[in-house]
Amino acid sequence: MQIKNTRMRRTLAALTTITIATAALVGCSTNASKAVAIASHDSFIFPDALINQFKSETGFYLEGGAKLGDAGELTNKLVLTKDSPVADLVFGIDNTFAGVAQSNGIIDGELVPIDYADVCFNYDKNWFAKAGIPAPTSWRELTDKKYAGLTVVENPTTSSTGLSFLFASIGALGESGWQSWWSKMRDNGLKVTAGWEDAYYIEFTAGGGSGTYPIVLSYSSSPAFTVDAADGESTTASINNECFRQIEYAGVLKNAKNPAGARAVIDFMLKKDFQSALPDSNYVYPVDESVQLPESWAKFAPASQSFVDVSGLDFEANRKKWQQQWRDILESK
Amino acid sequence: MTLKRATLWMVPIIVIGVLFYWPMTRVLSEGLTGDWLATLAEPRVVGAIWFTIWQAIVSTIICLVMGLPAAYVLYRRRSPAARLLRALLTVPFALPTIVTAIGFTAFRTQDVWHTGTAAEGFFDSPTTWIIAAHVFVNFAVITRVVGSTWVSQSHDTEEAAALAGAGRLRIFWSISLPQLRPAIVSATFTVFLYCTASYGLVLVLGGGLVNSIETEIAIAANQFLDLQEAGTLALLQTLLSILAFAISTTGTRSKIGFDVQDADDGKRPIDRRDLAAVALTWVSIALTVVPLALIVLRAFTTDSGTPTLENFFNLGTNGARNLLDITLGQAALNSLRNVVVATLLAGTLGTLVAYLLTRPTRSRVAHRFNRVLDVVFLMPLGVSTIVLGFGYLLTFGGGWLPLRSSWLIVPLVQGLMALPLVVRIVQPALNAASEELAEQAATDGASAASTFFRVELPMAREAITAAFGYAAIVSIGEFGAASLLAYGDQATLPTVLYQLVSRPGGDNYGMAMAMSAIVIALTFAVVFAASLPAKHRTRPQRF
Repeated sequence: MQIKNTRMRRTLAALTTITIATAALVGCSTNASKAVAIASHDSFIFPDALINQFKSETGFYLEGGAKLGDAGELTNKLVLTKDSPVADLVFGIDNTFAGVAQSNGIIDGELVPIDYADVCFNYDKNWFAKAGIPAPTSWRELTDKKYAGLTVVENPTTSSTGLSFLFASIGALGESGWQSWWSKMRDNGLKVTAGWEDAYYIEFTAGGGSGTYPIVLSYSSSPAFTVDAADGESTTASINNECFRQIEYAGVLKNAKNPAGARAVIDFMLKKDFQSALPDSNYVYPVDESVQLPESWAKFAPASQSFVDVSGLDFEANRKKWQQQWRDILESK
Repeated sequence: MTLKRATLWMVPIIVIGVLFYWPMTRVLSEGLTGDWLATLAEPRVVGAIWFTIWQAIVSTIICLVMGLPAAYVLYRRRSPAARLLRALLTVPFALPTIVTAIGFTAFRTQDVWHTGTAAEGFFDSPTTWIIAAHVFVNFAVITRVVGSTWVSQSHDTEEAAALAGAGRLRIFWSISLPQLRPAIVSATFTVFLYCTASYGLVLVLGGGLVNSIETEIAIAANQFLDLQEAGTLALLQTLLSILAFAISTTGTRSKIGFDVQDADDGKRPIDRRDLAAVALTWVSIALTVVPLALIVLRAFTTDSGTPTLENFFNLGTNGARNLLDITLGQAALNSLRNVVVATLLAGTLGTLVAYLLTRPTRSRVAHRFNRVLDVVFLMPLGVSTIVLGFGYLLTFGGGWLPLRSSWLIVPLVQGLMALPLVVRIVQPALNAASEELAEQAATDGASAASTFFRVELPMAREAITAAFGYAAIVSIGEFGAASLLAYGDQATLPTVLYQLVSRPGGDNYGMAMAMSAIVIALTFAVVFAASLPAKHRTRPQRF
């Protein structure tokens, strides 16, 4: 009987060990080392060559990065985890969510602008040439019957591209006009996807998939990536009219384990080498004006010159309300 | 004796208190602050509630229509390859839901065959595919639960009725149905519960435009940063689940009855009059096989449809444009580690709880105490993973137990979700064991511990093994909580698959398909292995 009692005790001991181990492992964390972790949105790329350069120049190295969804989800997840942040710095909070980051105090110091991108509609040049329909020159025309069933946009609740354009439409059409424009778009066969990749790669006719929509909400830079090797021309074009300028920031996270390393990353991101790599790696324009754009960019993907003035819009106070109203329109099919 | 038992109780009570009731209290207090009534009146929220309920009702009804004939053909009658087919139908249920969701996205994009037809709107609607996926996942629950009861019913009355000239439908209606009713009710509300609490399927197939309460909870937290709204919705979801769960357990207490060992004796072979039931069963089988086959097929082709093995080679990469923080292989290792921890936690604690609950109670107080604890340990079954994940996010983000930053948080939440399942499966087995032999052993002078380890444990071994298996299935497929809690290098297989499928383009979609195909193959292997008849049942050792 004595032996069997020991077995019982062992089981108990095992259970207790699990409980204690749980508590113990929680408390332990590595000391401030040379490792730096970046939290970013899903589309961010730190080019491999630059990862090594960063290490040899600063002595810090990148490890344990976390991609947390689109810019909105990224910001909000960082707020939800701010007591024990998942990384040392954040890259990719944009001007539509910067207010959330600031009002929730997740950033140590300032948000530093790194790059920008212009959210504009793109169209498939070949498709319009073949169909014999004039390509649109402004997104306002997309409610026209001749563009029925041709447009795909991203959902502003789940995609920062979509949200940027929702703000653009409100800025351009005013509180009184934006809802009726979207209702007309809905009635004109507007397709909505959850994210940019779904819209561009799957639904767009010129995005490499077998999509059926020749107009897509994307970026002024996207045509630089659809250059046909045969004739050196891009198969797509951007409607650089009334776009939304999205500025992307980096910032040190409060309670970061390695704030010095985080600062080193941000400094590095502002250097020429990183800035000039941004167009090809991240499809965005460097914030450093003195950096030369790649050739194909100068030709096919100039930054937009025409923006909607959104300075009068209070994103913080209205974001959720507008997203809800947008959903009410699009879901009431 | 009682003191010892009380001490033993302390371990599971502390664990469930800290890992379940504490976070749920946080959800409760968050959900009831501010203007929670106004939240419930928002049109978007009302829409989500309505959608959650009606799609669950429709899915459940279709599951019944498809599941009952299959239960009849595969359990009540002697059918060729019944065991094999039963196992096949269980595969979707055991698959991680995110894999099912990925499979059905493949369906959705195959719009060539219905574009331009009158049914275009129907096939284009995310709702259609959400319901289809819910039926795909859940109708086996009806088949198995009802089948397990049907198998053990006496054939005499039915045969007498048949002799008297009653048709199959009539026999079913007036003889079988009344006997099966508790099982049908239980299975129906279990399916309803699963359909209301499904998160990954609605998230992926709804594409943000169609939302259930579950996805609205995640949107409120992740997109709106509105914790009060998330909390209120979480409470609502929990009430709905508990209600469905309570109905599903009334009348059929202690019976999860998911699989029975049945001998073929006494069963009649299927005959011509079973044609309709057999046909429906084959439809169900086809509907099970097609989505799975589609995934496997897509895994071996490129975006444009040419055959390739590339998708499988890509599994060692981080995806197109370095989307993933870790490779699928590393994510699989994370998942494996989580499964081991979660299964050990749920398995050992669950068995301990089941053991303690089956001890004979001498006093009335002890009896009441047991009844209360029984419910206390069942509660997590009525709480969805997204709700619990949200609770963990609120509770363990900082404070004196900052679990959030540890990798353990995911296996802990998964283990907790599996704990009540283990209790439910092991408890009846231990009950039977203790009634039969324990007292005899006790009179022979054996201690409680030795009775447990020498008599009850061997007798309940099959149930305990099954319980560990279920715990592992729960853990490996769990997506809701992990999606809120596992970041960066802690990503699990389901969260990585979700990233891939929500960011298609390049190799990502193909990679998701390749990984899904592997998971399907493994699930097949496990389910079929588990369905093989147990060769030798262990007899309790004599002492």
